[in-house]
Amino acid sequence: MRQPAPWKLALLLFPGLGLILIFIGAVIYIAVAQSFGYYNLQGESGWTLEFWERTVGRRAYERSVSYSLYVGIVSAVLSVALAYPLALWLRKPFKGSLTVSAILKAPLLIHGIVAAFLFLNVISYHGILNQFLVSLGVFDGPRRLQNDDNAIGLLIMQVWKNMPIALLLLTGAVQAISDDVLRAARDLGAGVWARFRKIIAPLSVSAMQASLIIIFIGALADFTFQTTIGPTNRQSMAQYMDWFKERARWNEAAVVGVTLMVLSLLGSIGLAGAAQLIFRGRRK
Amino acid sequence: MTGDTTSIQQRIDNMLKKLLSVTALVALTTPAFASGQATWEETMAAAKEEGEVYWFVWYFEDRFRVFAEQFTEETGIVVNIPEGDHIANIDKMRAEAGRETGDIDVLAYGYDQLPNINMELFAPLTMLPEDAGRVSTVAGVDGGDVAVAWWGNQTGIAYDPAKIAEDDLPQTPADFAAFWTANPGQMGFNYENGGSGPSFFLNILRNLSEANFNDGASSPEKLAMLDAGITFFNEHAENYEITTSNSDSLTRLSEGEFTMVPAWEDHMAGLQVNGEIRDELRFYIPEMGMFGGGNAVSIPANAPNPAAASVFIDWLTSPEIQTQFNSQFGTAPMHANADDSAALVSNAMRDRSRPWAAKPFRDTVEERFIEDVIFER
Repeated sequence: MRQPAPWKLALLLFPGLGLILIFIGAVIYIAVAQSFGYYNLQGESGWTLEFWERTVGRRAYERSVSYSLYVGIVSAVLSVALAYPLALWLRKPFKGSLTVSAILKAPLLIHGIVAAFLFLNVISYHGILNQFLVSLGVFDGPRRLQNDDNAIGLLIMQVWKNMPIALLLLTGAVQAISDDVLRAARDLGAGVWARFRKIIAPLSVSAMQASLIIIFIGALADFTFQTTIGPTNRQSMAQYMDWFKERARWNEAAVVGVTLMVLSLLGSIGLAGAAQLIFRGRRK
Repeated sequence: MTGDTTSIQQRIDNMLKKLLSVTALVALTTPAFASGQATWEETMAAAKEEGEVYWFVWYFEDRFRVFAEQFTEETGIVVNIPEGDHIANIDKMRAEAGRETGDIDVLAYGYDQLPNINMELFAPLTMLPEDAGRVSTVAGVDGGDVAVAWWGNQTGIAYDPAKIAEDDLPQTPADFAAFWTANPGQMGFNYENGGSGPSFFLNILRNLSEANFNDGASSPEKLAMLDAGITFFNEHAENYEITTSNSDSLTRLSEGEFTMVPAWEDHMAGLQVNGEIRDELRFYIPEMGMFGGGNAVSIPANAPNPAAASVFIDWLTSPEIQTQFNSQFGTAPMHANADDSAALVSNAMRDRSRPWAAKPFRDTVEERFIEDVIFER
């Protein structure tokens, strides 16, 4: 078959590439330029490192970076860890498996802010959970459960919302693993954990990496859950960026935004690399 | 068939006549209006020809759509209110400043934002009829000839009278500390997503320092003057709660979780009118003072319907409408001749109102509070 002319290839790729290069590229360019003093909406525009120096030196910046990384990494790892057993359970169809699968994926259809407020209603001071635990005698009286300092509630919601993404990706990957391979492993004496570690995980590592990356990027940049059910003594990076934006301090907001983009990239590479190293490295 | 053709021809003739008359009227009135020399009658005529006005306001959009129907009934001018966010609306106006004609006719914003906005982006309001009762300066911020106040608001403390008697209400920082110690966890306030909590902690800090909060200049030395206030909050950290927003504070007060929370007077009144929080809840301004201010309206220089915008602002700031805002929304009226008898606080208590801390000092204080109090929890 004759190779099409390069200009024809370029034209065919343009709808996809153009979207990335023009629209996303323009946004990234403006954010980066703004972090270095350009596109200043309030004063003089021009090259300066002032905004980076001023922002990076703040304790609030360091706290928001470490907190967002914590939420991003823990949410991604927990979601994938919970999705694996479910994906393996649903690997072979059984009566009702379609219904179970649909129910497990339902959180994908519920918007984050709706879920956050529903969760608040459940755990609020006079919410269902408090009333239930008080009626059982577990609690003497209602307790404050919302906006807990360790972000437990937020992580529960992150995993609830993101686990179906991992389940969706992992189900296909584990279904593609041949029964013969798993039977052979069992015949050779591999237990459940050994089969997962040496067969299933290495053969589905690409789906695992994709899940980790997608969930990590979303959770790292979380704003909705953080501002409704997250701890009040922490600020996520998105929240911190919004804090600057609310004060018309766009250049400092851009510094946080660029940091967020860089961390998304580096964190994704790190998580994908770690998954590769841990699981594919053992496939000998 | 011939009859149909004649009818169509007549319709076209009528349309052309109407079009010509409208064009002539606009041509006659627009130069005078644009030059700011139009009489109020000419402005009214031009406004009716424009026929609509786009009001960008960032809260109560649904209620304002209904409220503004009386303006449409009076003038025939339709009021369009798009959904929007406070800062996003201001940014939209900034972003459109380079366009010959923008999308915004009337922009509403908090007076505290005015120092952040280039006032040259607004058209002068000199075409409005003289009215000595109209307010242009709010909380120490002068709107000049481009901004007028249309919404007065006041922060204070909302409380549950079933849990605390009026005579026992804390009035000073020492009183609040005593209340926290005696009633741990019974007061909560927000530090973001709304100004009621910031008004509370900024006023505690103001009362416990010699720093001048009305001067926007900030320096490390001036921030160091707040040490006593920062220590005050850290010493009592176990006994008060941090909420996520103005609404979160009020909702949790109404549900019985708290005894008192900082709140906006108008926000609280609006929620009570809608039945979203309990009617029994009360509101006061402590003797230590809390911030009060208001919201302004301005006409962007490139407004698509400037005459209609002028007529709308004249209506919005009139004593009759300001009285209605007071009774329906719980605002502090922004016209000298308006009736404020429906407010949640008495006029005498309004003496305790203080102008908002000046920026950028306020921003640096809030930053310090977050870093040295919130992150220490």
